Amino acid sequence: MPTIFHLDMDAFFVSVEQLFDPSLKGKAVVVGGRPEERGVVAAASYEARKFGVHSAMPLRTAAQLCPHAIFLEGHPERYREVSAQVYEILKEFSPKVEIASIDEAYLDMTGTERLHGPPLKAAHALHETIKRRTGLNCSIGVAASRLVAKVASDLAKPNGVLWVLPGAEARFLAPLEVRRIPGVGRATEQVLLRLGVRRVGDLARLDESLLERKLGKWGLALAGKARGLDAGGWYDAEIGSAEEPKSISHEHTFGKDTDEAEVLEATLARLTQMVARRLREHALYARTVTLKLRYADFCTITRSRTLEHGTRVDAVLLAEVRSLFKRNWNGKRVRLVGVSVSSLAPAPGQLGLLDEDQRRRWEQALAAVDRLRDKFGESSVSLAASLGSAFRERAHENPAGLPGKRGRRKPD
Amino acid sequence: MEFTIRKADLVRELSLSQGVVEKKTTIPILSNVLLEAEHDQLVLTSTDLELGIRCACPAEVKRPGSGTLPARRLLDYVRLLPEADIHFKFQENQWASLVCGRSRTRIAGMSRESFPELPAMPPAVAQIPAGVLTSLIQRTIFAISLEESRFTLNGALLQVRPDRIVMVATDGHRLSLSEKPMDLASVPAPFRGLVPKKAMNELVKLCETLEPEAPVDFSADENHMFFQAGDRLLISRKLTGSFPDYERVLPVEHPHSVILEREEFRSSIDRVAQFSDERSHAIRLQFMPGELRIWASLSDTGESEENLAVVYDGPKVEAGFNAQYLADFLRVVSEEKVYFGFRDSASAGELRPAGEDLDYSYRYVVMPMRI
Repeated sequence: MPTIFHLDMDAFFVSVEQLFDPSLKGKAVVVGGRPEERGVVAAASYEARKFGVHSAMPLRTAAQLCPHAIFLEGHPERYREVSAQVYEILKEFSPKVEIASIDEAYLDMTGTERLHGPPLKAAHALHETIKRRTGLNCSIGVAASRLVAKVASDLAKPNGVLWVLPGAEARFLAPLEVRRIPGVGRATEQVLLRLGVRRVGDLARLDESLLERKLGKWGLALAGKARGLDAGGWYDAEIGSAEEPKSISHEHTFGKDTDEAEVLEATLARLTQMVARRLREHALYARTVTLKLRYADFCTITRSRTLEHGTRVDAVLLAEVRSLFKRNWNGKRVRLVGVSVSSLAPAPGQLGLLDEDQRRRWEQALAAVDRLRDKFGESSVSLAASLGSAFRERAHENPAGLPGKRGRRKPD
Repeated sequence: MEFTIRKADLVRELSLSQGVVEKKTTIPILSNVLLEAEHDQLVLTSTDLELGIRCACPAEVKRPGSGTLPARRLLDYVRLLPEADIHFKFQENQWASLVCGRSRTRIAGMSRESFPELPAMPPAVAQIPAGVLTSLIQRTIFAISLEESRFTLNGALLQVRPDRIVMVATDGHRLSLSEKPMDLASVPAPFRGLVPKKAMNELVKLCETLEPEAPVDFSADENHMFFQAGDRLLISRKLTGSFPDYERVLPVEHPHSVILEREEFRSSIDRVAQFSDERSHAIRLQFMPGELRIWASLSDTGESEENLAVVYDGPKVEAGFNAQYLADFLRVVSEEKVYFGFRDSASAGELRPAGEDLDYSYRYVVMPMRI
């Protein structure tokens, strides 16, 4: 029987801010940006949540709900640093750690009883170690599957530990609303509601074939989840085996819509650099480059191009992004730009005859650049083209370089 | 203009211009063929502004003149006529009436005024046998890049030197270099120019209507190349830009090599490639003492392996290759044995026809894949 921990940091961004500025403690704090700004809430303190503020909510809405809240832009570099610290602690508890996002992780604790004692004791030890070494609260769910562990950590919040005994999964899940199952969003919820299903227990009693007819493969997976199984896709993977990403992207929403070509291009250059860096962290090569433009009227276009060779060189990707931009931008004001890469592979594929030396030199140079960035921060080295875009990285813009996500950086 | 022409003659010459006429053009006149009747001859001209072809055939000219007709429609219609003479008469309004036996047709044409003028051919600088041109093109054309952004690789580099004629093409992954030693001492200055792929295709079509020994006159001006065989003249604009310094990437030597039976090698690759990735065509080659192992596998589909006996006693070398690239070469080579030179999994491999007394040289350099 596996023992899985799901660890979730409590109000992570806010807690880190409070760590650096103790005067924020016990107050309604919202991280994400200024209240009059465009953008969304990245995190809210429990005091702010009482007023209905939650993450992914527009900042302006948050300001209406909780006008007295303290709005902060956030410090992505601090979050990364603390996240890395947490990761180090987790590794001391189990060799199989998978970082799910900047503030949550799964640990496979199977077979660690002799070292850490029974699950609940180990969970308390981990909980206390995190508090002692980082000063932060977290919640831990313990179960025989990822799914149940995740649901348990959610129910344990704030600052708690919850162990679901093996065999008790179905009984544990039954009274919960279906929305508690990760992956069930508004759409699935609507379908289920029409079937008269509101709680997980109702779902478990439903005929599997009916679920499959209504929701396809996802329906079958749901039937398994209702019983506490890790059914389907990523949930089936072993912890720490870190499934490869299918695409990597970065986006930026301008504080004010812009039609200045230099600003747009510089921003694209910066986003491209961030994407390329993540490619190298994952030891992957990309063949498809996609540009995303959202105009002031919310009309959004994406345009892609597939390259002959897989690459992870900033300059090569940027040349494509630029030419996509030049060919597709209609000159109007832009609200958001994004760069993403896909068709990812662990090897470059076909080698070039004419530019192989150049490619090798680029890769060596960029490896050196990445080492500098690891040491001195993301902005220590930039492509000249992106210098005009000193935009501050926003807390919700999926910060690059999550620790533990950089599985196997292999030299080329 | 009024003339009579044999159906077979017209179909043959019109067919040559079909490859030049653009199917989708924004300039309507370019879909038309220019017809000029004079001195018992009909001259047909078509162009897409990059490439032009002019041919001629005997005709009984009653009233000289000129006009243009839609090339595709004219050929499609004339093909369906019986083997007989066709009488053409052009009206003032650019319409032409065709009479052949009991068939009568009127086709709308366009004024010749807007038909582009083709450059005149300067005096020939070299005579190249049609068969030589065909071989040079067939050995290189498949290596031309289809990436429009790499426009200097969208054609082959043609070099006419006093002692030989050279054609080379590359798409940045592989390079095909074909040379034919010839006495071209009359060439006033060595010629070097980029021939677009479309022109190479049309030139092969033109050469294939000739005997291999038939001479093709070659000349060039600043922007164009001219190939003339009898009454047929092909004019191509040179591709601009500079071709990469290909000599730099030609391997000087290969530490290891094997001689392979072409057919055996080719059919092994074709079979194994059935189990390679559809997009990358990646297969693996492993050279071991006495043996060449070729294999590919697709996790959800299956795998395939072939072992060829070879004379080889070097170290074990394994490299990935695009099966399509290897097959491209093996398809155009006619010698029974081929040479395969290589170094390691990251360096270029080279294929050549193997033989004692080849009267030409052919090098095919292929970069491996990292799979």
